[in-house]
Amino acid sequence: MDKLIDDEMLVAQFQSGRQNAFDELMKRYKSKIFSYLLRSVRNYEDAEDITIEVFFKAYRALENWQPKAKFSTWLYKIASNLAIDYHRTKARHPVYALEDTEIPEANLVASDLYSDPEKQLEEQERGRIIREAVDQLSPKQKAVFMLSRYEGLQLKEVAETLDMAEGTVKIHLHRAVKRLQTLLRPLWENNEI
Amino acid sequence: MPKCIKSEGQAIDYVYKLLPPAEEEPFEEHLKNCPDCTEAVQSFDTVLQLTDKAQAEVTVPELALQDIEMNVYKRLAATHKQTLFSRVRAYFANFGSVFRWQKTAAASTAVLALITIAILMSNPFQPEPRLQLTEAQSAYARIEQYRQQDIQRNLEEALITHHLRNDAWETESRLHRMKEQAHGTTWTKVADDHLQNLQSGTLNRTQQNSKSRN
Ligand SMILES: [Zn+2]
Repeated sequence: MDKLIDDEMLVAQFQSGRQNAFDELMKRYKSKIFSYLLRSVRNYEDAEDITIEVFFKAYRALENWQPKAKFSTWLYKIASNLAIDYHRTKARHPVYALEDTEIPEANLVASDLYSDPEKQLEEQERGRIIREAVDQLSPKQKAVFMLSRYEGLQLKEVAETLDMAEGTVKIHLHRAVKRLQTLLRPLWENNEI
Repeated sequence: MPKCIKSEGQAIDYVYKLLPPAEEEPFEEHLKNCPDCTEAVQSFDTVLQLTDKAQAEVTVPELALQDIEMNVYKRLAATHKQTLFSRVRAYFANFGSVFRWQKTAAASTAVLALITIAILMSNPFQPEPRLQLTEAQSAYARIEQYRQQDIQRNLEEALITHHLRNDAWETESRLHRMKEQAHGTTWTKVADDHLQNLQSGTLNRTQQNSKSRN
């Protein structure tokens, strides 16, 4: 990634009419935003749609954007809001079943790691159980956990992204980890790992 | 067994590396003599190891990322079309209500003339900011640009797949993808040629030709 020109400089270029600058920003962040959303919504199609929506919204709002926070934080903010909306909508439709099947498991676990197909299946099953446990967090707990753990955001940046006080972020984070402990404990207590 | 008075939050912060540096060492000292906190730290640590591993398994394939930019510009172009349409509709709705009012209030030619002048003076397409138009124009230009890139990339990938991995299925699907993108251009002919050659097993030779043509 060519970071010689920082994001905020690209934004300034875009605001003064250089369209290519926005392409460069998309190139820098599409993979990050997509994988963040894929972890959050766990469905390729929806993750792709929301990724497009994130950049669409960013494009239209960027004209009036003020560099109060980092560009990346702002982008995660758009993505998080859309992900939280998504989970709320899904929650209102109880028919929804968790769809880890949407993610081809063959792609998830490097197949050459295990010559034993049975062990490989077990491994996949365990991954699925763990991701489903993360799904059981509240949308805010999940967002805090994902942003701080997998997107490398500092708590302060998570707070900015989610419009929360830093203390609130920490409370959500503690609850998230506690909840995961309760949900996942059987995995290690039954000697399954 | 008496529970330790330290909060589990502290154990989580320790595992998460969120403890202020000044609190880290005293907490580690405390761990040496506190089985409760030691158990908590171990268990939270296991939680994070498990979730880290499960999340690391979620990866976005390169292929899924290819069309993002083009789809963003398509989305922008579509919105522009929509706003144009809704403005035309809004304009005619306004015109209709003026017309109804005019009918009930006993028509005079003066009123009609005034309406006509008003319409002529306020070009319905004028008030929209110039920016919107350039936004749509650049969106269309970008779509075309990404389409061209996509065509070329798929052709290159098809040839690479064929040449290096000898994967006929992947090569073919790449060529079909290229053909789809190239719809309406001469590139479809190139795709067809390659597909034909793939079936007759002569793709390697045409590859050489297409290289020397460039
Ligand atoms: Zn203790």
